Amino acid sequence: MKQVVAYASGNEMAAIAIKQIGYDLMGYYPITPSTQIAENLDDMRARGETDLVMIAAEGEHSAAGICYGASVAGGRVINATSANGLLYALEQFPVQSGTRYPMVMNVVCRTVSGPLSIKGDHSDIMYILNAGWPILFAHTVQQVYDFNIIALRLAEQVRLPVVVAYDGFFTSHQKRRCLRFEDDQAVRQFVGLKKEPYPFLDLEAPITVGAYMNEPDLINNRYQLHLAMCEADRLLPKLFEEYGALSDRKYNKVEGYFHEDAQELLVLLGSSYETAKEGVDKMRKNGKKAGAVTLNVLRPFPGEELFAACKQADTILVADRQDSYGAGGGNLSLEIRAMMQKYGGTARIRSLVYGLGGKDFFAEDVEKMLDLARDPEAPDFDYYGVNPGFGTKPEEEAGFFAPLTQEKTKVGATLVHRDASGEVLVDGGSLNATAAVPKRIAPGHGACPGCGIPVNLNLLLRAIEDPVVLLFQTGCGMIVTTPYPKTSFKVPYLHNLFQNGAATLSGVAEICYRKQRRGELPPGDIIFVMVSGDGGMDIGMGSAIGTALRGHRLLLFEYDNGGYMNTGYQLSYSTPKGARSATSHVGVKQYGKTFFHKDMPRLMAATNIPYVATVAESNPTDFIRKAAKAAFYAKTEGTAYLKALSACPLNWNDIPATERKVIEAGVNCCYFPLYEIEQGVTRLSYAPDAAGKKIPVTDWLAMMGRTKHLCGEEYQEVADSLQQEVDRRYERLKMEAQAR
Amino acid sequence: MTNDIDKILTSQDYYSIRLESIGGLGANLCGKMVGELGVRYLNLNSAGFSSYGSEKTGTPVKSYIRFCPAEKEIRVHSPVVSPDLLVIFHQALMRDQSVWKGCSGQTSVIIALDMGQEESVTNLLPDCIRDCYVVNARQIAMETKSRINVVMLGAMAKVMGFVKLEEARQICRDNLGRKYPAALEGNLKGLEQGYAMVQPLSETTHRSWKEDTNSGCSKKENTYSDNDQEWGYATAPIGGVNPRAGSTVTADLSPSRQGYIPLFIKERCINCGLCDSTCPDMVFQFAEGEYNGRRMMVNQGLDYYHCKGCMRCVSVCPVNALVRGDEAEHPKKQYFMPNQDMLRTPDYYVKAGPDGYITSESYLTEKRIEGGEV
Repeated sequence: MKQVVAYASGNEMAAIAIKQIGYDLMGYYPITPSTQIAENLDDMRARGETDLVMIAAEGEHSAAGICYGASVAGGRVINATSANGLLYALEQFPVQSGTRYPMVMNVVCRTVSGPLSIKGDHSDIMYILNAGWPILFAHTVQQVYDFNIIALRLAEQVRLPVVVAYDGFFTSHQKRRCLRFEDDQAVRQFVGLKKEPYPFLDLEAPITVGAYMNEPDLINNRYQLHLAMCEADRLLPKLFEEYGALSDRKYNKVEGYFHEDAQELLVLLGSSYETAKEGVDKMRKNGKKAGAVTLNVLRPFPGEELFAACKQADTILVADRQDSYGAGGGNLSLEIRAMMQKYGGTARIRSLVYGLGGKDFFAEDVEKMLDLARDPEAPDFDYYGVNPGFGTKPEEEAGFFAPLTQEKTKVGATLVHRDASGEVLVDGGSLNATAAVPKRIAPGHGACPGCGIPVNLNLLLRAIEDPVVLLFQTGCGMIVTTPYPKTSFKVPYLHNLFQNGAATLSGVAEICYRKQRRGELPPGDIIFVMVSGDGGMDIGMGSAIGTALRGHRLLLFEYDNGGYMNTGYQLSYSTPKGARSATSHVGVKQYGKTFFHKDMPRLMAATNIPYVATVAESNPTDFIRKAAKAAFYAKTEGTAYLKALSACPLNWNDIPATERKVIEAGVNCCYFPLYEIEQGVTRLSYAPDAAGKKIPVTDWLAMMGRTKHLCGEEYQEVADSLQQEVDRRYERLKMEAQAR
Repeated sequence: MTNDIDKILTSQDYYSIRLESIGGLGANLCGKMVGELGVRYLNLNSAGFSSYGSEKTGTPVKSYIRFCPAEKEIRVHSPVVSPDLLVIFHQALMRDQSVWKGCSGQTSVIIALDMGQEESVTNLLPDCIRDCYVVNARQIAMETKSRINVVMLGAMAKVMGFVKLEEARQICRDNLGRKYPAALEGNLKGLEQGYAMVQPLSETTHRSWKEDTNSGCSKKENTYSDNDQEWGYATAPIGGVNPRAGSTVTADLSPSRQGYIPLFIKERCINCGLCDSTCPDMVFQFAEGEYNGRRMMVNQGLDYYHCKGCMRCVSVCPVNALVRGDEAEHPKKQYFMPNQDMLRTPDYYVKAGPDGYITSESYLTEKRIEGGEV
């Protein structure tokens, strides 16, 4: 079948395969390094090359749910994820396999947090060994393409969902020359037509999916799944054969390089296998009988084939890119040890954990590792490439800054009190006076020039003169401030996950309050502040609302730059309608994001917390006073929520120097009205219309490269609909404000 | 500048290139184009990738390309350690020792260098390299309305010696022409200028550099190693805890600037504090003082170590007490005041740039950078 050359990365080849197969639906949530698959497909959609339905969920758990629903309904379904996203969605996977709905998911392998790292290792993929999904592991860019095509065929024939795994960055991002079928039909013919044994949407023959099943039935259901996995084991060689005939690329479950006569054998997964071949070549040149083996299939585990490839070696070194802590090796090691036992192998097996967090693996490492394995004194299990470090312990170093005690921060620039009628009043808060409050965040952070995040954080924190404890959800704000071994924070700081910061901070705050009650910590006010981007407020909305409903005394601060900027600007639910992003391209078939920006303050107001407000750097004194009020409520009554419109020069695609003007225009066009909802009472802080400053939304959109296109005639309908929505929300707000 | 790639590849496995850049200059796209050039027009196999990856503007980016014969499979996935060609997109990066990693007698170096800067940078060159070329990429990019990456692509084509100008032009057309026809002409001009204007480090500079080398100047030795980690498993606090509060203050962010700095004209300042409220980098140093007979917070100066040159302050200053200046014209900055809250002056400003290090590369970012939409 005719094929053409592509110079592409693994993620690009996955997207091409997905497009060629002609899937019905992709449910996804962006996470590095798998995001480019959705980005590429969205770009193709915008250009009219595919009609794939793409649903950007608000988190991986929901993305997996969307995929499940779509597969039950009879669609051909694809997903792609990595690391913590995979773990967040984990409970969906056994349901998908247990109820026997086929689909394909690309797992672009990356380190599982924490500490947070985005680089590649295999700590994520090993979590789903027990999920009942066959797992194909691609170690080249070419295989990513080929395995995606084979995977769907396998999935539909054995009625199991299938994972195509490959190395994050090494395979997902590195470009290689590879081949793809010229004609999509060749791919479609190979995968064939989808058959549904029990069509869910057949109203004439209704079925129930998702039984409540106890003993004695459940074990039989699981046995069916086991039989399907056995069937997959039998079927795979046939599919490899058939695909080989079509493509001239014939795969096996297990692959080896000079393994037939190798005395020392390195077994490892993923891109490292390719690098290892280079190392084996070098060793062979020096007369050493080295070889390498890898697995193209992880589930069903190809024990027999693997044993055949390994049995002649004296020493087998299994290199694991993850650890099953406490088990004496990574999962690959453990399975190989079990396999050797089963088939009566006699080789000495040693395990080395290497390359965690994407630590590079060089061809030279092959010889070094095999030398270690041959050493009779060496332990059966160890880590490779660790470093003890040198110098003094950090605790003994002199600090860069004096601790920010209350004496230092209580400068009296902003004063908050409650008057006799119960109203909370703020005095002061001028820019000059609050400049005396020491900055809680040190300079030297890695935010882009002109970034709005540190600007907003400084405006927030200069209003708070009590000690602060900070928690950041995942996002640019946390990434740029804590590049290990450095940190920008001069006050206690915690990062947990992307989506449960509010809950985490409730735990921190409650222990602090308890310790203070019991006299284990000195009394005094501490303001607990969670900082999140609008991305964190998408995936973490449930956690934030739950925290607000429980009413913990803390402050939730959202900086809204309208997109997932940390991962390269994918759409968030707060992205303006029509804006272009990496997952809402503009093209002949698509005008950018298709739905309106989320109204998060209203959602938070519905929890009836004492204080909700919006702030903008263009109105700095209003910002500082509201921040002081929010902190006051957070220490005296319950949860407070503040939201700032935050500039992102990189992805808004505008000029860093002018960001304050762009924010001002966002306020003046009423896209981001400034108001507060205090004890249930709405007050408009600034009325652009009354001040004669109101501008059309398009004046603001024209200032940003991401939305500039909406000002053209072609997109007038979109701009009009956004204007109407903005006006509708603003008028409602005014009515609420007047009604008091 | 002639090289026979076929001959080179008989004596070594790969011809390797490393690009050292700062996010926003387009090194990632440049690396992609060079890699594709090998496959499409040079009858070679090639592999390319970038360090993942500071795509945040102003943070260091590395991009790697390997060429080998067309029939050979490229199996290594590791970064290029010993480059045949090292391309430095911003002269300030020369102060970062990691940039010089693996340089040897086979390494040719191309540096994007402003006019008249040769003398000041020669003492940063390691002595071991084969030869060094310079090109005034910033000026060419500005004049041709192109971007630094295409200028460097042109310069690379010339220095590599086995790439014809037309081949480089064609790969530029392939990558930019379809998506951004409007920007193509300028980019092609930039590329051609880069090809024409790149030149060996001038005779005299070269000579003095080599003489220096002969006198055994030790700071030119390239001893950089990735394994010089102060914190390892025996010394680092468990769990990734970081007790070094505020330690990013040790980073020198000046290479993030694109040639401009805010200049402070103190006599105009009314101490309104707007600059401090808009600065993302805590540059402004306010302290208690007297202004117009009143006790208040008074602007003492700017911490230029941490200024990234965004010019937000210049744009909000109501009295033009902050104005934009060409950094090259102000080697000694008036009112330069390092962060006043520091207990001790860090004796090292370790990295040439900030080391926030995350994000995937986004297609949109790439397009923004390619397209010159700003």
